[in-house]
Amino acid sequence: MSKETILEVSGLTKAFGGLTAVKAVDLTVQRGEILGVIGPNGAGKTTFFNVIAGSLPPTSGSVRFKGNDCTGMRADRMARLGMTRTFQITSLFPALSAIDNVRAATYRHKKTGWAAAILRNRAWQDEEADVDAEAMRALEFVDLGKRAHVNAEALSYGEQRRLEIAIAIAAKPELLLLDEPAAGMNPEEGQRLVSMIKRIRDEGISILLVEHHMRVVMGVCDRVAVIDHGEKIAEGKPLDVVNDPNVVRVYLGREAVHA
Amino acid sequence: MSRKITIPVILLAALALPFMTANTYFHHLMVLWMLFSLLALSLNVIIGYIGELSFGHAAFFGIGAYTAAILGMHFGLAGIPGILLAAIVAGLFGFVIGYVSLRIVGPQFAILTLGFGSIIYTITNYWVDLTRGPMGISNIQPLGLWGGDGIALTSAIGYYYVILGCVVAFAYACHALMSSRTGRAFIATRENAPLAASLGIDVFRMKLLGFVVATAVAGVGGALYAHYLTVVTPDVMSMQYVAALIIMVIVGGRGTISGPIIGALIYVALLEALRALGPLRLVIFAALLTASVIFLPGGIVSLWRRITGADTPHQEGAQ
Repeated sequence: MSKETILEVSGLTKAFGGLTAVKAVDLTVQRGEILGVIGPNGAGKTTFFNVIAGSLPPTSGSVRFKGNDCTGMRADRMARLGMTRTFQITSLFPALSAIDNVRAATYRHKKTGWAAAILRNRAWQDEEADVDAEAMRALEFVDLGKRAHVNAEALSYGEQRRLEIAIAIAAKPELLLLDEPAAGMNPEEGQRLVSMIKRIRDEGISILLVEHHMRVVMGVCDRVAVIDHGEKIAEGKPLDVVNDPNVVRVYLGREAVHA
Repeated sequence: MSRKITIPVILLAALALPFMTANTYFHHLMVLWMLFSLLALSLNVIIGYIGELSFGHAAFFGIGAYTAAILGMHFGLAGIPGILLAAIVAGLFGFVIGYVSLRIVGPQFAILTLGFGSIIYTITNYWVDLTRGPMGISNIQPLGLWGGDGIALTSAIGYYYVILGCVVAFAYACHALMSSRTGRAFIATRENAPLAASLGIDVFRMKLLGFVVATAVAGVGGALYAHYLTVVTPDVMSMQYVAALIIMVIVGGRGTISGPIIGALIYVALLEALRALGPLRLVIFAALLTASVIFLPGGIVSLWRRITGADTPHQEGAQ
């Protein structure tokens, strides 16, 4: 694994009026790494995620992607730089077929526009063939090849979550931000997700994963950072982190401490 | 693919249509059908592809008509340059209004277009020096190639073919759009804007592009209308036309190419067939729109798919 830093978050703070949801968090993601961010409900994980992904402007601090400052940058610009996100609540193009969902996601790395399509020139033909092939490949990657022509809204919940991942990888990001991908999944689907995330990494995509299902995080992450009350309280290898007294207290002993 | 057969057949039928009758009144209706088809197709880019509702579309039609009329009156331009300028002027208005309005979407955007449409209508009514006010501009020159070169199109059949050519060209452009990267970005924007943005699509730019194209084409329609009727009054911008265009797109089938053309046919045919009913026709159109929204949200063209049981790709030309 190379030691190149792909994402560098420093001193990130987000306050909503008097409430500081994220307090001076530092975090780096190395290229080719799967980094998990965990924490109990309400710890500020989602806010942290949304600030990095450009959905919310930070109060202070900075986000650098591939060395470029992209603090508070609009989501579509960030996506064009190579950072793609998924959403906590299933987010698809519901009225389109599965394959059209994924076709739309190839936008970032394709070039020909409307004029080329009117002329039906060579560049357009080649690129449309590429789009079809890449979309099919992404669907097969998540085992949805046979469901390519089913409308997204008619897919089962588990299939829809996998389609989201197909959409994200069809955009060919360098860094993929996954927002609670295991939300609402049963243990079997969770396991399938773990193996899928590992295969995405094997394609050369770095991953930042926000999750509170410990099993998913432990199974897939190279490193884990724990957030509680907006602050990073631990960071390291998954096994070290679960044995960290602070983390144990946050996850298991909260009631006891406050009692 | 049956499309390889049906499209040439439909084109041949459209070319042969004026020869079915020698009645010039029917020729006039055919011209209106084509004109409304062009306008409905352009509005369909806004309603069907970028997923916004515009109550201001007739204003851009009117801008095109007045541009052609005023250019003809002052500069003797009555040909292709005049039509292109009408498209540019309407498109520029579309750009400025879209640039301001498209920062908000949904119902708020629709209300803004209603406001801008009314402003343009009012200005046209009161800026007498430029537009001659409510009297309108009459004696507009007929369509020529470059204007003042002796070639003048005066017959309804001639206009039918010219506008048919525009409809075919724009329908093809819409079809090409739907099988292009740009079109996929339009549909993605319509279906789920935050997801589209997360995939690198600049949602605002896509909406603006669609809006400008739609308004420019409405400008072309307006210019052709002005040359054909040789009269233009502020009434072309009134709510009546706004409602008519929306009915055509929704009842015909938004997001498709055949839908707005069929919607225009239904509108023109019903308007004539029910002439005896007078203002009551508007009530019937309102009922038609309501019924379509409730029972046939995909429009008349979705009925065809329902009958044939063909699998329903939501957008035309995607496969």
